Amino acid sequence: MAVAQLEIRFITKQQQYAVPDTPFSVAAHISCIELNSLLNELLKESRLDGKWQSVEFDFLVLNEFLRVPLLEHLEERSIPSEGTIDVEYVERHPAPEPQDCLLHDDWVSAVQVKDKWILTGCYDNTLHLWSTKGKHSLTIPGHSGPIKSVAWVASDGQVATFVSASHDQTAMLWEWNITSNAVECVHVCRGHERGLECVGVSPNGHLMATGSWDTLLKIWSAAIHESSSEEQDETSAKRIKMEHGKSQVRTPLLTVKGHKEAVSAAIWTDVNEICTASWDHTLRLWDAELGGLKHEIVGNKSFFDADWSPLNRTVVTASADRHVRLYDPRSREGSLVKSTFTSHTQWVQSVRWSTTEENLFISASYDQQVKLWDSRSPKAPLYDLSGHEDKVLCCDWSKPELMVSGGADNTLRIFKAKNSSNK
Amino acid sequence: MGVEDRDRKTSNSLKITEDGNSSEFTTKKQPSKRKLSVEKVKVPDIEDKDPDHEVNFDKDENLFGTFENENDSSDEDGDDQASNFDSGSEDEPIFGTSDGESEDLSFEDDSEDANESHSENDETKPNGVESSSKADDNKLKRFSKRFQNVTSISNKQDSGDGQFKTMDSNSKKAKSKKRKSTGGRFVKPDTESVLCGETEKEKSDESEDEQDTERGVGEVKDDDVMPNKIVLEKKKEYDEYEEDDTSDEEDIRNTVGNIPMNWYDDYPHVGYDWEGKKIIKPPKGDELDNFLKKMEDPNFWRTVKDPQTGQDVILCDADAELIQRLQNHKIPDSDFNEYGPWIEWFSSEVMKTPLRKFPDQKRSFIPSKDEARQVGRIVHAIKMGWIKPRVEKPKEPQFYMLWEGDDTAEHLRRIHNHIPAPKRNPPNHAESYNPPPEYLFDEKELKQWKNMKRTPSQRKVHFIPKKYASLREVPFYDRYVQERFMRCLDLYLCPRAIKMRLLIQPEDLVPKLPSPKDLQPFPTTLALVYKGHTNMVRCITVEPKGQYLASGSDDLTVKIWEVATGRCIRTIPAGGIVRSISWCPNTALSLLAVAADRKLLLINPEVGDSLVVKKTDALLEEAPEQDVLLPEKVKAAVQWEQVSAKGDEWKKGIRVVINHFKEIKQVTWHGRGDYFATVMPEGQSRSVVIHQVSKRRSQIPFNRAKGLVQCVLFHPIRPIFFVATQKNVRVYDLVKQEIVKKLLSNSKWISSIAIHPGGDNILVGTYDRKILWFDLDLSTKPYQTLRFHGHAVRGVAYHKRYPLFASSSDENCVIVSHGMVYNDLLQNPLIVPLKRMSYHEPVNDFSVFEVLFHPSQPWLFSSGADGTVRLYT
Repeated sequence: MAVAQLEIRFITKQQQYAVPDTPFSVAAHISCIELNSLLNELLKESRLDGKWQSVEFDFLVLNEFLRVPLLEHLEERSIPSEGTIDVEYVERHPAPEPQDCLLHDDWVSAVQVKDKWILTGCYDNTLHLWSTKGKHSLTIPGHSGPIKSVAWVASDGQVATFVSASHDQTAMLWEWNITSNAVECVHVCRGHERGLECVGVSPNGHLMATGSWDTLLKIWSAAIHESSSEEQDETSAKRIKMEHGKSQVRTPLLTVKGHKEAVSAAIWTDVNEICTASWDHTLRLWDAELGGLKHEIVGNKSFFDADWSPLNRTVVTASADRHVRLYDPRSREGSLVKSTFTSHTQWVQSVRWSTTEENLFISASYDQQVKLWDSRSPKAPLYDLSGHEDKVLCCDWSKPELMVSGGADNTLRIFKAKNSSNK
Repeated sequence: MGVEDRDRKTSNSLKITEDGNSSEFTTKKQPSKRKLSVEKVKVPDIEDKDPDHEVNFDKDENLFGTFENENDSSDEDGDDQASNFDSGSEDEPIFGTSDGESEDLSFEDDSEDANESHSENDETKPNGVESSSKADDNKLKRFSKRFQNVTSISNKQDSGDGQFKTMDSNSKKAKSKKRKSTGGRFVKPDTESVLCGETEKEKSDESEDEQDTERGVGEVKDDDVMPNKIVLEKKKEYDEYEEDDTSDEEDIRNTVGNIPMNWYDDYPHVGYDWEGKKIIKPPKGDELDNFLKKMEDPNFWRTVKDPQTGQDVILCDADAELIQRLQNHKIPDSDFNEYGPWIEWFSSEVMKTPLRKFPDQKRSFIPSKDEARQVGRIVHAIKMGWIKPRVEKPKEPQFYMLWEGDDTAEHLRRIHNHIPAPKRNPPNHAESYNPPPEYLFDEKELKQWKNMKRTPSQRKVHFIPKKYASLREVPFYDRYVQERFMRCLDLYLCPRAIKMRLLIQPEDLVPKLPSPKDLQPFPTTLALVYKGHTNMVRCITVEPKGQYLASGSDDLTVKIWEVATGRCIRTIPAGGIVRSISWCPNTALSLLAVAADRKLLLINPEVGDSLVVKKTDALLEEAPEQDVLLPEKVKAAVQWEQVSAKGDEWKKGIRVVINHFKEIKQVTWHGRGDYFATVMPEGQSRSVVIHQVSKRRSQIPFNRAKGLVQCVLFHPIRPIFFVATQKNVRVYDLVKQEIVKKLLSNSKWISSIAIHPGGDNILVGTYDRKILWFDLDLSTKPYQTLRFHGHAVRGVAYHKRYPLFASSSDENCVIVSHGMVYNDLLQNPLIVPLKRMSYHEPVNDFSVFEVLFHPSQPWLFSSGADGTVRLYT
């Protein structure tokens, strides 16, 4: 039986791995492994000194990763196999390595990393500060309900500020003196009528937005000192009414109504634009200054989490099913869902984009897995980061080198992300 | 080429055989099994018209015959060649005498043959001449030499093609196959005459391939022909059995044929090989040998005995694998993909594919050209006036029935829809004047017949069959008039009716339902399991906002869960088996009504809005002043008890306790959240109590017991109260204080009841496996009776927003259905069963208790006997 042949041409955007773009005729059912060896062979030949350390590549055909034999890949997309097929190759993303496992007393429901500090929020109403090396530095009680979301506001080596949102209907703004390892609750943000679900800090660190079960999105000042003092001067009588220990009560600058159900994610996409995801099956873009609705995307499942990437300007969402969906908030017509990533077997609870690579993101699911995805490979994730022994509730990849995830097994797992050598 | 030619040829060959050249032949004969087809050799002789030259091996008719028989293929070649011999032009392709051909040949020839072929090429013509002129000795010498050569070569070669190895193994194979097959077709075990006399036309059957080979063969002319020929045949012989021959697949090493091999059990041999020699059985080892073999021989497990030859055969890997696959009930072909993508050729939904797998022939789509031509011709002829189309003349009936038969309609009488009289049965054998003897009565039958004088209708026949020698002797049938009269009576008195046959296909009777795919969203899979209870979870309820879930269990606790994560927020000891639990629908109150044995607890779950929680606490902290005196009947049945704000119970969340005099089975809130009703099935006339939270007052709405009350329900909008007793559902108007309706369930025991948020439809689950859908606008009988479940139905629920309802039953399953209620009053509700989910584990015959929808999402909760609450999305 004659074996069908396909003509392919290798192209790449990574200059150090460029090969001449002469077309090759290969067997139609060629798969990644054979392509890899072929390409490595080519690269070896192209080196004058013949020294070549073989590199693992991933292949993109029609902007999607090749995971099945080439012919199948083409047939799935109903692309004619005649003509020359451009096969783009990139160096394979190296596998993340498990680095650490930080034990908590209760479910870890919120986490964010900044510089060399990890901030986690727990169901036992406490916040924890860890160093990225895994050293526990502080346990911060203060909330009276489970912490649902945490975010760093600013840090300058000496003093760091962060915010935590809890089911006790408040968000707390904390100031942490790193050198003396003393933490202080500067402001308690009151105003929500039900438990908070999410908090997002604006790119410049002046504002923050919280979403809650009372369906409202509230925008607050995230500044620690100056702005609050100003405001207090103006309407001090009102503000200081509910003094709470040392910390002062802060009221929202703006309340945005519109969602019909709990707001589960609030991300700042710009200095004055917020993207929210809600249980009412919608993603909405708001103007943070005016509080007006800019755009609405209607999905067909409740959204549990969403993240926006400044690199590719798309929103990746976790909803009440096992799929992760990619939305492009800029597109106004056509299919709203750009791609659907399916590999989890249970609800996906959290998603986070990589901050450095435009195609990578991680997702955390109730099936005890954290998965690393490339947005060009919707069928299969790049890597499964397993380790959790119960539902994974949150994940974070703010620091490019660390992927962290917290779960219902009371642990925070840290994976070391390796960058591909070219970047 | 005609018959004459053939005759001539035969005569020639015959003449030759008589020649004295037999010596030559003997040399050839040596390999007895070889094929020596004579014709080719003869040909040049014929051409040369020199009888002497003919290589004549064929004194020996016998030998000749064997050739023919054994080597079909060569025979066939021979035939063709024979046919070609006469004309010079024809013999070119065969022998390859022309230059072109010879070139071909040289190309094809193997290196070993190269010399030969070249020399032959050179020689061709001269040889021909030479051979014709030269003496036999010469030829003989050369031939024998050649022959030896060739045999040695061919012996070397394994495959039959050896000598004429060509450029391409593939093509060679094809050729050899071709040869074989044609050989099979043209077997002519005949004498010389037939062979020689083959006519030209047969040549056309031959494929090019064949000719090629023949060219290869036939290159050698004259004397050289002979050896070549022999070799060729030999080669073919090998071909036949060494390669996979389709014509006869059976093992032919043993010639005994398809007989039971145990016939040879007593003999030292198992049959005969081709040579006619006995195939001796291999020595049989004793048990010890066998055992040793088993221990030592690594291939023992795959060694089998060939019954045909008695030899041990070691199965190859492929065979072993095949057998293993067969033993494991797998598909023998390991390449076959059992899990390939399923193609829906033919299923309950798709039925468009033909039953035959092959497509219709092209000609069935294309109008026949031939017919078109014929029609065109006729049309043309008609146009030209050559043909005159027949004009049908109206035929006048020459003869007509004077009396119309029974079966024709009686027009004259103007009877519409005339039904013809039923036909009488045609006469049978027994009625014949000369019936076969078996129809005639013997004495016993006759007696029997006569015995039934009183009941003539029970007789098998109404007459006694009689035999007459001839028709003439048949007397007048004495019952003739009587029977005709009876017939007339029958026709007259028995009404005839037209039987209508229904042409309804079974599938027409099934209502057209939309596909479940179009009715999304609805819960389909298990999403979360709320684990924590240590005993059966009998009841669940969801917070109106949908953030929290409360469950009551046999482990005497109430647990509050966070819906999205499955986290147990709080566990509240209830002090009794929690049979029913209900969250207050009023969002301004944070209150949970829990029925624990004889106590009804009002619990503040302390979740959600903290302001509401505080307000609720403040509201319930102190009992309001009772301004109305309660009747004694109520007092005896129900006592309100305030929990002190400093006690333990307060800390646990319990705010108010209402003590009942009997076990509470159900508690349900009014839609406004101020009133709630409790049900005590054993409470007789006081089985239903309605409580008011704000005034802390209870009342007993019914004076008389109407039956065993199972459950009660408030109408979501109107002041209507539903009371489900064991068999019926009574609908009361709370304002007018009267009964409005009594819904008849027509079942033995009602288990649960749910109302559509619109308020016009009620779902009733019964322990006798039914779900009844009542449309209150229609009648008191169920609009639909749904028998989805195989066991008692425990719970039913409607969704508040989506057109969904669910039911749970003891057979460990939850069924979600689509229940669309239209605003249009004329349109009846649409009910489509959607999904059956069995995730709970059955415990002591119980499996799923209550089902409940999330207030806003299309999610379903179910509580089970396995101590879990499950969420389906």
